[in-house]
Amino acid sequence: MNANDLLAAGPAVTGPHQSVHAPGIILGLVVLAALGYGAVRLTHRVRLNRPPSPRQELPSREPTAPSPAPAPPTARRAPSTFQHPNGGWAVETHGLTKRFGPTVAVDDVELLVPRGSAFGYLGPNGAGKTTLIRTLLGLTKANAGTMALLGTPVPAERSRALARVGAIVDEPRFHPHLTGRDNLRLLAAARGGDADQRIAPSLARVGLAERAGDKVATYSMGMRQRLGVAACLLADPELLILDEPMNGLDPAGMHEMRAMIASLAGEGRTVVLSSHLLDEVQRTCDAVAIVDHGRVIRQGSIDELIRGAGAAVVQVDCAEPAQAKQLVDDAGIAAGTAITDTGLAVTLPAGASREVVADLNRRLVGAGIDVYGLREVQASLEDWFLSVTSRLGEPS
Amino acid sequence: MTTTEPSLSEGRSAAPGPGRRRAPRTSAWLPTWALITTKNLELRKRRGLMITAVVLIVVPTVLVLGLRLLFHAIDPHSNGPAGSPDLFSQLSNLTAEFGFIAAAALGAAAGTTDLSEGVFRHLVITGRSRLALYLARIPAGLAILIPMVALAFLMNCLVTSYEGTPPPTSVSLYGLNAPEHLDQAGLRTWLLLNPQQSANGLPIQVGPATTPAQIRSAINGGIAGFYADYTASEISGAIPADNEMAKIGLWLELDVGIAFLVGLGFGSLTGQRTTTTIVLIALEIIVTPILAAHVIPYFIDGQRLIIGIAMDQLRPAALAPAPGTVGGGGGPGHALFGGRGALGIPAMPTWAMISVIVGWIVGWSGLGAWRMVTRDA
Repeated sequence: MNANDLLAAGPAVTGPHQSVHAPGIILGLVVLAALGYGAVRLTHRVRLNRPPSPRQELPSREPTAPSPAPAPPTARRAPSTFQHPNGGWAVETHGLTKRFGPTVAVDDVELLVPRGSAFGYLGPNGAGKTTLIRTLLGLTKANAGTMALLGTPVPAERSRALARVGAIVDEPRFHPHLTGRDNLRLLAAARGGDADQRIAPSLARVGLAERAGDKVATYSMGMRQRLGVAACLLADPELLILDEPMNGLDPAGMHEMRAMIASLAGEGRTVVLSSHLLDEVQRTCDAVAIVDHGRVIRQGSIDELIRGAGAAVVQVDCAEPAQAKQLVDDAGIAAGTAITDTGLAVTLPAGASREVVADLNRRLVGAGIDVYGLREVQASLEDWFLSVTSRLGEPS
Repeated sequence: MTTTEPSLSEGRSAAPGPGRRRAPRTSAWLPTWALITTKNLELRKRRGLMITAVVLIVVPTVLVLGLRLLFHAIDPHSNGPAGSPDLFSQLSNLTAEFGFIAAAALGAAAGTTDLSEGVFRHLVITGRSRLALYLARIPAGLAILIPMVALAFLMNCLVTSYEGTPPPTSVSLYGLNAPEHLDQAGLRTWLLLNPQQSANGLPIQVGPATTPAQIRSAINGGIAGFYADYTASEISGAIPADNEMAKIGLWLELDVGIAFLVGLGFGSLTGQRTTTTIVLIALEIIVTPILAAHVIPYFIDGQRLIIGIAMDQLRPAALAPAPGTVGGGGGPGHALFGGRGALGIPAMPTWAMISVIVGWIVGWSGLGAWRMVTRDA
């Protein structure tokens, strides 16, 4: 039985005075559909213009102003070593391997993330950062190895482990037709427990309380990132895993996100930040693991890693930099030299002692070049990163 | 004003140690009430989908009956009562047909949108059992569909019962007006008492030289078939009893429920909403009618594996078309609950019909759940 049957059978069924006219029905259907759509649109507009509901007006449940700016990143306590921390490891993997056919995306990874640290998982695009995170969170299965989150083995006790973990993987995506608050309600329902009571504080924490009733489709990328963080906070997480949280953000958004991450880490939460932005990791994190081609090639605190990098640069403020450069190059005491605005930047050979700096000074003064100052410049994480990853030397 | 909510402010001094706080039990496979209601909310707020469902399920019945009520109220002499048994049957069948499509579309949406909109991984990260996430979609979607079908059918029932044509006093059989409530012997007696009318009306070979004895012989020989058509005509011409209406309502709900579950399972399996919807619409309006149009020798058991054919056999008797109308006179099927097929496929054993229906429900649900549990998020 279908519509045609109904319409064809109509006159015979209803008699000459009760015939159902097919064009009329079709026209009526179209008109009713249009009216229905219009009514829905009108209802939607009315809802948007409606004053907030009584619940929304309760200041204690729904703060309308963003929380005060969190403490700057420098105020954070930084773990200095990779010794086994008293609280144990927030993330621990041994021999973790994930393959996609012949491609090894995560290759025998040994990763130790101390609790309470802000930890950077740093690597170039395609290094396997996101795959490692997806594997840790049970979004995809590992081919080999063991892993634990907050001391709980996964995937054996995945649900228990993830109960105190918040994560953003790739860009945070939500149902665009739902409001920010409704999206969080959906996730809070999945979390269970008292997660639904954290919706309002989480929205306030990330500064989205005023826009929580708007559809996510109207959110900017930065707002979606913040909503992603709010979704993480529903778990009141001990461990936050943020995959490229700065992606798509403008400078102001990056600053906000950086401050938020710092404040979360400052509360004692462990924050694992995956990024290919070296400067970002250096600004935000205490410790870092460098990953390339699926393998962790270095890990430790940033200070230690940079100290161990070996390459020191001495900035020499002097007159006649060209002559000074020629002198230093001829002397063969530097790994490299470069003329700067104030003088000369001299890169010392790996393992060079402080005596080399004194020798450098003597030679310049002896050659009649006025030296106004010498200072050792710490190598940036970027310099070191480029020196240890396979991207070094590759055509850009 | 004070608040009792957990604070996420900077006052958090240190991360709690392992096991210090009790984590919610998210590994349980049974969905929670909150999970169901929020999934229902997510589906309900899909405006286009909801409009489509309402237009397909509710609007045809409301529009047809509303217009007929209006016309009858304006000019009762020219326009008869709004309801009639035949119209009841046709609108119910229309609700079943369009309801299947709407339910399949809703099921496909329920099974795929979390994936396509990137929310599935957020849900998995919560630690909630993936099976619970799947199972929550079933009551969430049915809570939308069942009231819609109930609303359309209720209006159909009310108008037919209270604004319908008076009950007929005779039964139309091949153009003959036979008395009501005859059993097979009574029908044969009545036909034998009206031999000339029977000869002209009944589908028997008659000619100018046909004798009364030949007519009598033809009536006696074909009385079983005539009585089946008489019964079908009597049922289709009468306003269904309350219990019959209840059966029809349950059959309609089962029909859309199956469509939703198949759409959900198929959608979860493929992850493709559009593909799933198109395939199921094609199944309903192309594949099933084609396979049901003719009995294919040596493949009839294959034909019976189609869900539409199994459900047709379960179709309540009052929804079978009257003899001689499109649909084939009900066919010989008269299975469970007095149901009879409208598609003309010979009836299968009741256990086979139930097996096919249960198989579609369990099979597709199982496939969808399995894919959801094993898929990369």
